[in-house]
Amino acid sequence: MTTGSLATTQQQRPPFYRDAVVLKWAVQLAVLAAVIAAFWFSASVGLQSLDDKGIDADFDYITESVGIQIAEGIDTKPNNGGRALWVGMVNTLRMSAAGLILATMLGVLIGVSRLSSNWMVSKLASTFIETVRNIPLLVQIIIIFTVFTVILPGFRDFEDPFNEVGPINGWLHITNKGVAMPRPHIADGFYQWAIWLLIGAIIARFVYKNRANARDEHGGETYPGWIALGVIAIFAVIGWLAHTVFSFLGAPIQTLSDLIGRVPQAAVQIALTVVAFAAAARWIQNFFAQRRTPGGSARLTDDDWFRVIFAGLGAVLAAGVLWVLWPGLSSWIVNSTSDLFRVIGDKFSAERTGAPLGFQRPDIVQPGNFANNGVQGLVLTTWFTALFFGVVMYTSAFIAEIVRGGILAVPKGQSEAAAAMGLSRMQSLRKVILPQALRVSLPPLGNQYLNLVKNTSLGVAIGYADLVTVGSTIGNQKGQFLTVFPVIMAFYLTCSLSISAVVNYFNRRLAIVER
Amino acid sequence: MTESTTAVPIPDRLKGANDMIECDQVNKWYGDFQALKDVTATIKEREVVVVLGPSGSGKSTWIRCINRLEQHQAGRIVVDGVELTNDTRNIEKIRSEVGMVFQQFNLFPHLTVLDNITLAPRWVKKQPKSEAEENGMALLERVGIPEQAEKFPGQLSGGQQQRVAIARSLAMEPRVMLFDEPTSALDPEMIKEVLDVMKELAREGMTMMVVTHEMGFAREVADRIIFMEAGAIVEEGTPEHFFTNPDSDRTKLFLSQIL
Repeated sequence: MTTGSLATTQQQRPPFYRDAVVLKWAVQLAVLAAVIAAFWFSASVGLQSLDDKGIDADFDYITESVGIQIAEGIDTKPNNGGRALWVGMVNTLRMSAAGLILATMLGVLIGVSRLSSNWMVSKLASTFIETVRNIPLLVQIIIIFTVFTVILPGFRDFEDPFNEVGPINGWLHITNKGVAMPRPHIADGFYQWAIWLLIGAIIARFVYKNRANARDEHGGETYPGWIALGVIAIFAVIGWLAHTVFSFLGAPIQTLSDLIGRVPQAAVQIALTVVAFAAAARWIQNFFAQRRTPGGSARLTDDDWFRVIFAGLGAVLAAGVLWVLWPGLSSWIVNSTSDLFRVIGDKFSAERTGAPLGFQRPDIVQPGNFANNGVQGLVLTTWFTALFFGVVMYTSAFIAEIVRGGILAVPKGQSEAAAAMGLSRMQSLRKVILPQALRVSLPPLGNQYLNLVKNTSLGVAIGYADLVTVGSTIGNQKGQFLTVFPVIMAFYLTCSLSISAVVNYFNRRLAIVER
Repeated sequence: MTESTTAVPIPDRLKGANDMIECDQVNKWYGDFQALKDVTATIKEREVVVVLGPSGSGKSTWIRCINRLEQHQAGRIVVDGVELTNDTRNIEKIRSEVGMVFQQFNLFPHLTVLDNITLAPRWVKKQPKSEAEENGMALLERVGIPEQAEKFPGQLSGGQQQRVAIARSLAMEPRVMLFDEPTSALDPEMIKEVLDVMKELAREGMTMMVVTHEMGFAREVADRIIFMEAGAIVEEGTPEHFFTNPDSDRTKLFLSQIL
């Protein structure tokens, strides 16, 4: 009797407007439709209005020539808009990467100092933090820039700027446009020499492991790091003298380039399609494997089905792009890979017998090369320095507070236990406290990294040639803000998402196993 | 102030043993509050001393002074012939000879059980990794949980964690072990496994100072019991004397409340 009534309740289906499954699907589909409709509507209204006003928003500036001068970067006279934006991106990345590293080191140092029992050190650290943290970054950057420009000698201070020899017989120039040192540049034999370095690095890695194992097994200090560095140095010296040995690599790389160039477009299309579907299939397979419980497959929820369907759709979409929307992509991949190998092969050609590196003496250059008179060589420009110090100090103040919070979050018993075992303060900090503090600090630290990258865009205020500055110039010149700025947005978005991904990865790795 | 001059009979096994810890007129204040008042006691090599007293009586403060987790402000503390002063070399020497077990275990949660044990031998004594790990495994055998070596502290029960903490202290081969309420944070059924390890240690001849509320352990293992109240030593004596025939009224009151 009981079983009978149970069976009947199971068979009874509720009316569709009370059926949880139906409702859920309906709502999801409705949300999707609403979002698509909203985009569709805004886009059509926007395009209509552009049309009415006679503005054509296009991406032509990427290939059109732009007559702009960029004050610093990998190319100071880019011949088209796309190249100019690329120079700006590299400048932004350069600033961000250097800033992230220095801000982290400085932040940890200051954060630890603020907790120091040394009154002087701790007060200095808190004064720094409270000052830097409470003044807008823009103001700080402008102040630093102004100070540099005022205290460093300008061009008018030189009697004959273009012929005057600077300190150390002209190998160093200090002006208010920046500090210039000799620039090492890649010369003829560099790539052959790089092979020597690579071999040295591989051998050094083995030597390092060997020495480290010896330390673990027999105790005592075996200096693995120093010995490994020595090995690399020896290979660098030998390679400098004997780099032409590797010229024979030129011919086989050229052959490889030719072979890659003959791959038909369809083959690449088929291969990439297979990869896309295989990836989707693998994802779905893993997904099902995850949902499997010891008691058989778990029932998939509707959300799960959505994910599976979207994974499949992704593969179909990829195939659509490869075969219909952009068939040229595949031949582009073939051609550019072939080109790449041809260029590399050329670097190994037998004629390249010169030294691996050359040094360019810094010079004060004529007007026209820069917006104004400038210096060349390895230049730490005033713009770069001002923005760099501003961003690094500002971020490091916040990082210091995060580090301090992280250290304070580690229970006092941990440092007591370390002290009771005889660990010194430094050892206890390095082995016990910081690893645990880092775990707490990592998510907010990631936020500060994102802020640092985004804050480099303030370079526009002092004219540092970052992406925003270059982008604004191009937008102004071509009247294409509407299409230039999406590119800038996409760039920052990519940077930020990459940083988040890295931080999340480490966050998962550092998680403490609880049970 | 109660004078504690009762001569405590020295058990046969400690006859002729050296003095391991000497405290002479040790005083400590937290602001206006005096946490230790003229604490004077000598602990011999291989002796097991249990410190009893109501909470806030200065028991923990006293043993934390002995390896300088707290700083005493007046008086002398000498451990194995080395006086605790501001000389960092003396502090290091004493800490490497004195092991400590805490109420809250204080294991390092980001390291495995074995890494917890080998950390100090490797970085303080500069032992080779393989040797430190061998010793570590032997210690885990001794406290009865070798199979947990690769787990993290968070995956262990409280009793197991405290046994790891004891093994971690023993890894530095200390000559004295201090126990600061080692069983107070444990569930009742785990107290025994920790006390068994401690009894074993006492049998092997370790010099031990134990702050605890475990009267059974005190009665069974202690050579001497020191009773403290308001930062001062009120009474000391053999367990038999202390539990059956205490001198001071304060001790009688304490015993009547807990037994």
